[in-house]
Amino acid sequence: MTFAIQFSIDVLSLGGAYALMALGLVIIYGILRLVNFAYGELIMVAGYSMYLTSGSGMPWIAMAVVAVAMAIVFGILTDYVAFRPVRAKSVTAVLITSFAFSNLLQNAALLFISPRPRNVPLPDIFSQTVNVAGVITPVRNLVTIAASVVLLAAVAFLMRKTTLGIAMRAAATNFTMARMLGVPANLIISSAFALSGFLAGVVGILWIGRIGTVVPGIGLEPLLVAFIATVIGGMRSLPGAVVGGFLLAFIDTTLNYTLSQDLLKFRDAFTFGLVILILLWRPEGLIKGPASGQRT
Amino acid sequence: MKHSYLTAIILLGVIVIIGVGSQLLGVRLYDRIATNLMISLVLVIGLQTFMGNSGLLSFAHIGFMGLGAYTSAVLTIPVQMKGMALPDLYAFLKVVEVSPLLSMIAGGIVAAAVAALVAYPLMRLSDAAAVITSFALLVVLYTVMNNWSALTNGPRTLFGLPKTTDLLTAAIVAAFAVVIALLFKESRTGKLLRASREDEVAAAALGANIPHLRWRAFILAACIAGIGGALWGHFITSFAPKAFYLKETFLIITMLVIGGANTVTGAVAGTVLVTIAYEGLRGTESALNATAVGAGQLIGLTEIVLALAMIVVMIVKPGGIFPNREIGHILVRMRSRKET
Amino acid sequence: MLEARNLSVNYGMIRAVREISFTIAKGELVSLLGANGAGKSTTLKCIAGALKAGGGSIMLDGRDITSASPEQVVRAGLATVPETRDVFPDLTVAENLMLGAYIHRRDRAGNRENLERVHHLFPRLAERGGQAAGTLSGGEQQMLVIARALMSRPAVLLLDEPSLGLAPAIVDRIFEMIETLKRTGLTILLVEQNVNQALAVADRAYVLRLGKIVTSGTADEVRAATDLTEHYLGG
Repeated sequence: MTFAIQFSIDVLSLGGAYALMALGLVIIYGILRLVNFAYGELIMVAGYSMYLTSGSGMPWIAMAVVAVAMAIVFGILTDYVAFRPVRAKSVTAVLITSFAFSNLLQNAALLFISPRPRNVPLPDIFSQTVNVAGVITPVRNLVTIAASVVLLAAVAFLMRKTTLGIAMRAAATNFTMARMLGVPANLIISSAFALSGFLAGVVGILWIGRIGTVVPGIGLEPLLVAFIATVIGGMRSLPGAVVGGFLLAFIDTTLNYTLSQDLLKFRDAFTFGLVILILLWRPEGLIKGPASGQRT
Repeated sequence: MKHSYLTAIILLGVIVIIGVGSQLLGVRLYDRIATNLMISLVLVIGLQTFMGNSGLLSFAHIGFMGLGAYTSAVLTIPVQMKGMALPDLYAFLKVVEVSPLLSMIAGGIVAAAVAALVAYPLMRLSDAAAVITSFALLVVLYTVMNNWSALTNGPRTLFGLPKTTDLLTAAIVAAFAVVIALLFKESRTGKLLRASREDEVAAAALGANIPHLRWRAFILAACIAGIGGALWGHFITSFAPKAFYLKETFLIITMLVIGGANTVTGAVAGTVLVTIAYEGLRGTESALNATAVGAGQLIGLTEIVLALAMIVVMIVKPGGIFPNREIGHILVRMRSRKET
Repeated sequence: MLEARNLSVNYGMIRAVREISFTIAKGELVSLLGANGAGKSTTLKCIAGALKAGGGSIMLDGRDITSASPEQVVRAGLATVPETRDVFPDLTVAENLMLGAYIHRRDRAGNRENLERVHHLFPRLAERGGQAAGTLSGGEQQMLVIARALMSRPAVLLLDEPSLGLAPAIVDRIFEMIETLKRTGLTILLVEQNVNQALAVADRAYVLRLGKIVTSGTADEVRAATDLTEHYLGG
């Protein structure tokens, strides 16, 4: 019984983080049909923001708010630098500019801050452990689960019940038609990037909370997670990305528990292999996105 | 079709000029740069065969370069050295030692085989999904190379490869790559693949099985990458898995994209340009580092400049320098316009 | 109310619309006729702001909207129903309609009133409020896109081929609907391939051929023009 609880907590906390990562990415892809390679760097920005404000004497929660705000700013900046100038040109061009921007940000961190890991302050409460039905687990895990539940519900509410959310969903299906109803295109796009940045910022803090340090390349793993979760979930489906995130967490946690010691370092290869099998079975992903009629 | 012959001649001519030119200048540094350039040509052209024809970006390319390099390493490190270089190597491989030429081909074959196995499901995905899955594939290939210590010495440097790649060898392989790329472009697979980018339904009506065509192009690209990797391995004689990861991926994509992903001419032009820019920037970086008074090391400056250059090129000329027509085609058209 | 002066629209190198001029008075229903490729839809898209004008001007109630963005055109009081019948398939009927009222989203009372009026005109849509728009029939979708356009409280309505791909019985109903809308005082520019139905509801009509206006006049005058068949079959 304790094993089941331990396993569930692990899957739920990892899945929550993964789902948030995926959601931040799919919001941009769903609406704009654009893959944001610089997405991982938003998490990096949140981390370095925490590092840079750590000497200031602000309470941790204030530093966290600043970090999330920085992620939002950089999210919108990504739009202006990497997306807007080339949006009309071609899908590949945008991919490449966002890849270039990602590289630029990482190297800027390398150059202006440091290539070496830098400590990120964490509230003491994160590392404390708590006893849940016989299982000892860091409070951090529970915080992650709570945060992801709250955020996922909030995003779902935004998308379904608010005018902005409905406009975003409409823009995701048919951008031109939405404009012809008076929906301001730029507002939708900026909102999408801001929301994506917000999610990246929050999950960034939770994610870096696991490790405690930040390096320029820290965004790679979340980016990869977001990519894979999005693909298995169904490229343009928001609920799909969430499902993909939890599924990926389930696979990763199961492999963590079952792989022998010397195979454990190949865990990512095994995960990828399983993902390939899923894609072999269902190339369009698990959940259908908004109807579009063409190959996205 | 005739344009292709002219293109081939011109591009091969460029290779010859670079090769001969750097020999004439006699500076050892230029020899190294030129050889590196030839090797980069092989890799970038390999990427072009996939990207230019299918329209999909593949991030996994450098991973296959690594596979080729390690395959060639395992097969050519002298038996006496194997004990030191790869202490955990499997018994049956410990006694193998083949000529670098054979091992280069073996490198291409291994890369192609892995590509064939892993990539088919990817080719059925939608365009964006295929691209980001290829990125994941790069990471997985890196993880495998980084951890399979028996074959790769893990994250540590693997040394002991015989230095058999010189400027001439690299130039010859690069020349082959140019020819193969042009041949593939004009082949039925190449043409159908490009047609399917324009109009999927029409291409399907012609009998094009798009995933299958993409798969073939991907295998060819992986094979060329594998050969390129082996070629590089025998030039540098020692390497580690992190040589086959993001930084190099960014570089070859920059080269291909700036030159023009749709044309072989673009691949060549981009490689030459970016190599010159890169070496220039690196030199500047070192000079600045040497002179800076307590200002700290300037790492990453080269990459930042290149990234900015990429963004600017995408804004101004998203198709690259040679977006659509090969150089042979352009020259022929210019000539016929002059005549009319 | 709506006036085009020497309007030209280019599709890349092709000049799809060449210096056409027309006017629509307030409350009129004017029909734009012509064969496929004559430039009718292109004209409409240009007025709606989705395509750039290559020359000339478009005036809406005295205001120049030639280079206005789609959002600005809607705010100026001109709503467009494109020929592709673009409902948002994954949104419900109600959500589609709500989006139509986007520019008035803060006027909740006004929107509720308007929605009732629209439901009155289109009772079918009232029934299917919670249904996903993609599951509606072709005729119902056409009604939805018209209703959605009306939610923006336009003074002018542009309709692009509303009868396209619909069964004759449904087409009749759509045109009854258009007639009703006309009676409410709405100014309408109707692009149609179905010449008879179009001329039956229109006050005046223009015939486009290869980007130029070749015939114009009252509905009766245009109907009597003998070369109409030639325009459609030979044009």
